[in-house]
Formats: sequence, structure tokens, C-alpha cells
Amino acid sequence: MLEYVIAKYNYWVYVILMMIGLYAMMGKRNLVKKLIGMNIFQTSIILFYVSIGVKKGGATVPILEGHGHGGHQAVDVATILNPLPHVLMLTAIVVSIATTGVALAALILIYRRYGTLEEDEIIAARRAAAAPKAKDQAS
Amino acid sequence: MKIMPLKMVAFAAVVLTGALLLYGVEDMPAWGDPQSPANTHVSPRYIENAIPDTATPNIVTAVLADYRGYDTLGETTVIFTAGIACLYILRRPRNQRRKERD
Amino acid sequence: MTAQLPALQIAIPLLGAFITPLIGWHRPRLAGLWALAVLAGAAALAVALLMQVTAHGPISYHLGNWAPPWGIAYAVDHLTVLMLLLITGIGLMAFLQARPAVAVSMPGREPYFYTLFLLQVTGLSGIVITGDMFNLFVFLEISSLSGYALIALGEDGAPLATFNYIIIGTVGACFYLLGVGYLYIVTGSLNMADLANLLPALYHSKVVLVAFAFFTVGVAIKMGLFPLHTWMPDAYTTAPAPASALIAPLMTKVAAYVMIRIMFTVFRPEFDIGVIPVATILGWMAVIAILVGGIKALAQTDLKRMLTYIMVAEVGYIVMGISVMNRPGLTGAILHIMNDACMVACLFLVIGALAHKGIPRTISELGSLNRKMPFTMAAFVVAALSMCGLPPACGFFSKWYLVQGTVAAGQWVFAGTLLVSSLINAVLFFRVIEKAYLAPGGGHGHDDQQHDDGHGTANVVRDEAPAAMLAPILIMAALILVLGPFSGTIIDAVISHAVPAAF
Repeated sequence: MLEYVIAKYNYWVYVILMMIGLYAMMGKRNLVKKLIGMNIFQTSIILFYVSIGVKKGGATVPILEGHGHGGHQAVDVATILNPLPHVLMLTAIVVSIATTGVALAALILIYRRYGTLEEDEIIAARRAAAAPKAKDQAS
Repeated sequence: MKIMPLKMVAFAAVVLTGALLLYGVEDMPAWGDPQSPANTHVSPRYIENAIPDTATPNIVTAVLADYRGYDTLGETTVIFTAGIACLYILRRPRNQRRKERD
Repeated sequence: MTAQLPALQIAIPLLGAFITPLIGWHRPRLAGLWALAVLAGAAALAVALLMQVTAHGPISYHLGNWAPPWGIAYAVDHLTVLMLLLITGIGLMAFLQARPAVAVSMPGREPYFYTLFLLQVTGLSGIVITGDMFNLFVFLEISSLSGYALIALGEDGAPLATFNYIIIGTVGACFYLLGVGYLYIVTGSLNMADLANLLPALYHSKVVLVAFAFFTVGVAIKMGLFPLHTWMPDAYTTAPAPASALIAPLMTKVAAYVMIRIMFTVFRPEFDIGVIPVATILGWMAVIAILVGGIKALAQTDLKRMLTYIMVAEVGYIVMGISVMNRPGLTGAILHIMNDACMVACLFLVIGALAHKGIPRTISELGSLNRKMPFTMAAFVVAALSMCGLPPACGFFSKWYLVQGTVAAGQWVFAGTLLVSSLINAVLFFRVIEKAYLAPGGGHGHDDQQHDDGHGTANVVRDEAPAAMLAPILIMAALILVLGPFSGTIIDAVISHAVPAAF
């Protein structure tokens, strides 16, 4: 069992991180904690993708010697890491930052309106605001 | 005390998700195997042809800006969207700002 | 020129969105006209693309001229052009109404609203046109981010609903991304057509099963399928009316399109039926979605919230059509994607007109609305009859195919659910129509309506929405009536090509 975990420990690490993030998003009542959970969640996926690109046996970073169209030599594929997951994750990092930005903007809007970022307090404040209105209509 | 069930549900869902993901890990190729499909199907062409195709020694750059340059256009659009979204959400109309100053 | 149509379909709204704020900083009015022109151009392109695809068959467009598994390709087939037409068409209609509404309701913010509106259309078009799994994720995020922002500035409660939507929506998108990663590990490819060739050999790999599970859950979150629909009623009810008229009809339908793509293009029907019983599970989830959506809708007093719960049920219809795995079922599902988008768009445009006139959305306060806004209410009745499945409105035809599909699959419970749901819809809309047409009173719940009972309806002043806002409502209502009788033509020309040959 232990050997099985160690052979693919990269996946175990990412799954554990992802579970932490997901739990924070679902179980926490503070909106900032939820947002931090979302960030952990997204980071775990980035970790997962980057670990796909690994090649064991002395492969190195995907930057070649030489430049321009001349002087090209055949490259041994096994000596260079897989560049594609890195490219995908550059995009995913940007997406995660953009999402965080919009979520923070929404949080500012919430704070301006209710003066708190605790979900329970916001819901209570909304109930309190709705109650007198209902009374007016009833009378 | 009323929140407890929610936390239990969240915990159960999280464990289920994690278990499902690890269930899939079992059939994956060994970590770092140079012969795994991910490392042999599409990506070798980038490594072999980056210089003849794009004249760029950094393969990540070559893929990012040329082979899959369209993704990068989408990526910059995401940033643009987020920027406009923040402006749209947080901007206060002029008369409201004046009211707050008074 | 015609060879570049697929690229232009995305490039025009995208570049239009980039330019809109530049114009808007100087002249907000001009920015609105500019965005309108861009959307009209995008709709015209979608029509051109439809003609080309129906005449010459599917197009594969290689961006940057890199061959597909290495570069990104657009895959434009019959289903794609149908969705593109739907997105750009409803986008244009929603914008016609949004432009005058936004000028009144959010002064100083119009250029940003227009920009986000165009980005939303771009993102949705990109999702349906792309043939690359990761590229789909990028466009999904463009449409999601612009959607979050458009929803955020609604009535009380909108910011919190938006934040919850961001959290849940991100989980959905990330689950999709995880699925892409799992498929990439075992195949090494991101291209849909390439994956479709590589996957059959791997159908029994646990990795592929998990990937499929995460695709399904991720997409189900985005389309608001029953247990994962919780974000939808809050987000769409509190959204500003001009935004909800765009997002509500399209976002769930595009997610349904992604589900069809994954189940029938990336995977083959053999996988969906034979390897894991996903079809059965989805079918029963759809039954629950339809019933719960209908019952929850019955409990609502707010017209807009009632509509969002009806949407939960309608998503169930589409999923049910997918789940029966036969030709009439899938035909019905695709037809219902189109019809439901039109019906929901029409209903939300009516809500937009009511909001513009400051009429409360509480159903009990809608009295005498037929006199106040006769044309708006006539359109509402047309859409409502279509929702109940009465011919010749288009809703009847898609339901007919759905029922045929469930019967052909021998799923009598499913067929029964569809009929029960039509009855629930009839009750729901009759309640509203009865209030609007037969109940007396000026509609604001004052005591004086009791004094007016005898002759009160006579002194209601007609106060119709401005023509610019009324026109898109009437166009959508006319479309609902026209699409119905032409269902056969649409199925022959477009949808029959989108159903896999195995059915």
C-alpha cells in the first residue's frame, strides 16, 4: 500500500490539497475563507497538470540551445520536459487570478452593503430588512 | 449547532470527490514515465520542431504564442473581462460620489 | 472570405468588445450603437455560416494553420451553427431591450455593461465553436466572468448570490478542467476529434471513467441540473433585468450543448450506455429535476423566481431527452434547447419591460396588466402557452419528440413525468394570466381596489413599454409561433445531422 502511494505521490498531494480547498468552499461560513478555499482548489489543479509534464531520467527544462532558423540539430525528446502542461497552466493561472479579482470585487460590494463578510450575519440582516416590509404590506 | 449538518455534508462530499479522483489514479501511467501517452502523442512535435517551425528556443513560449496562440488570446481576454468587470462593479456614478463627499 | 467565416464569428464580437470602452469613455450613446452594430454583424455571420454548413457540410478551421492535434481547431458542424444562431440572435434581441433600459437604470456604467454583454456573447460563441477541450475551458471562463459581473449589480441580495455563483461556478469549471487533465494523461491529446479516435481503446480505463464523471458533474453545475441548481434561482432572480434576459436563456443551454458534445462527440454512445449506466442516472436525475422544479415554482410568489424554477424543470427536459439515447429523444433535446431558449428569452424580456415600468413582480399584484401593457402581456401568453406545450407554439413540438423518445426507450415513468410537468406549467401560467387578465385593480395592492371592484378596471391607463423595448418581445413571441410549424424543416436541415449515426 505504502509503495503504491509513494510511486504516484504527486497525485495524492494534489488530491489532498484539492480536498482542503473544496472543504473550505463548502463548509466555511466566512466569505473570505471560501475565496481562499477556491484559490487552494485552483492551485491544486495547476499542481496536478504541471506534474503530468514530468519525465524522469534526466530530462531538463524546455529551452533549447541555439536560436533562429539556422543551425538546427535533431533534439532527443526524452531529454526535454513536456512543455504542453506548462503552457496550459500559464493560462489557467491567469484565469484563476481573474476569477479571484472578480470575486473580490463582489466581496467589496457585499461589504459596502452589509458591513460584514460572515454569511450568517448577511442572511440575518437581509431577513431583518425584509420583515418590516412584509408587515407594511400586511397592514 | 445548526451548522453541524452542513459541515458533515461538506465533509462527505469532499471525501467522496477525493476518493473518486484517487480511484482514477490507479490506472494512470507511472509518474514521470517518458513513454506515457501524455509525453509521446502530441508534445514531441513541439520539442522537435519548435526551432524549425517558430525559430524560438524556449519551447513553452513557442507553444504559448504560436501553436496554441489562440488560447493565449483567450487568456488576455479573460484578464480584460476581469478588468472591465471590476470597473463595472466598483465604479460609483458621479452623483453618488458627490453625495458621499458632502 | 467565406473560408474565414468561423474565425470572424469570434473575432468580430471580441474586437468589438475591446473597442466599446474606448468609444464609451467619450460617448456612451455611441458605444451602445456600436455594440448593437457588432451584435447585428455577429448574427449576420451566424446566418452566413449556417448557409455554408447546410450547403457544404461541416467545416474544420485550423487557427494559425497548425494541424489539429498540435494546434487549435474550430469544428463547425450543424449543431454548432444552430447554437451560434441562437446565441447571436437572442443576444441581439436582449441587447435591443437592454440598451434603453441600461441608460435609465445604471447611468455612468453603460459602456462597461455593453462591453461585458459583448464578452458574454463572445464567450458563449467560443464554447460552441471550438474543437479543443482546453480552449473550451478558456471560453467558458470568459463567459462565466462576464456573467458574474453582469449579475452582481442587481437588486438587494445580488452581490451575495453572485459570490455564491462564483464559488460554485468555479468548482464546475475546475471539475471540467480536471476531466480534461485526466483524459490528457491517458491519451496525450486535447483535440475533440482526436480524442474520439483514441478513446474507444481506453473505455475501460478507470481514468476515463473518472474523467467522464467529472465532466458530467462540472457541466451539470453550469447547466443547473437538479441537485446542483441551488445557485441558479438566486443569481437569476436578483440579476438586473437586462442582464438576466441574456444570461438566463443562453448559459444553461450552452452547458447542455457541452454535455451533448462530450457524450456524443468526444465519447461514443456505446460508452454512455454500455460502460457505465450514466444514461440511466441522468434520466432519473432529470425526472427529479422536472418534478422538484415544478413544485418549487408552484410555491413562489415572485414571477421571476417562478421562472427560474421552471428553468430548472426545463433543464430536466433536455437532460431527459439526452438520457433516453435514441433518435427522437436526442432530436427532442436539441429542438428543446432551441425552443426553450426562445421561450425563456421571451419571458425574461417581458420581465425586463415590467421592470422598466417599475411594476412589482409579485404575482398577486399583477392585476389589470393586460390593459396597462396589452402587447407585452400578449407575448407573455404566447410564451406561456408554448411552455405548457400547446400547438402551434414551438414548445409542443419539442415535447412531442421528447415523449416519443421516452416511449421508444420504454421509459413510461419519464413520459408520465413530461405530461405531469406540462400540467404543472399550465397551472403556473394560468395563475399568472388569470391575475393579469381577470383580476381588477391597478396592481399595487392598495386597499382602494375594493372600492373600484365594480368599475375599477375601466380607469386603468394604458402604459405600454417603449417601442424599442417592446419590439424584441414581439419578435420573440412571433418566433415562438413560427418555429413550431417549421420544426420539421429545422430537423431535416440541421438537427438530423447532429444526431449520431448509431441511433
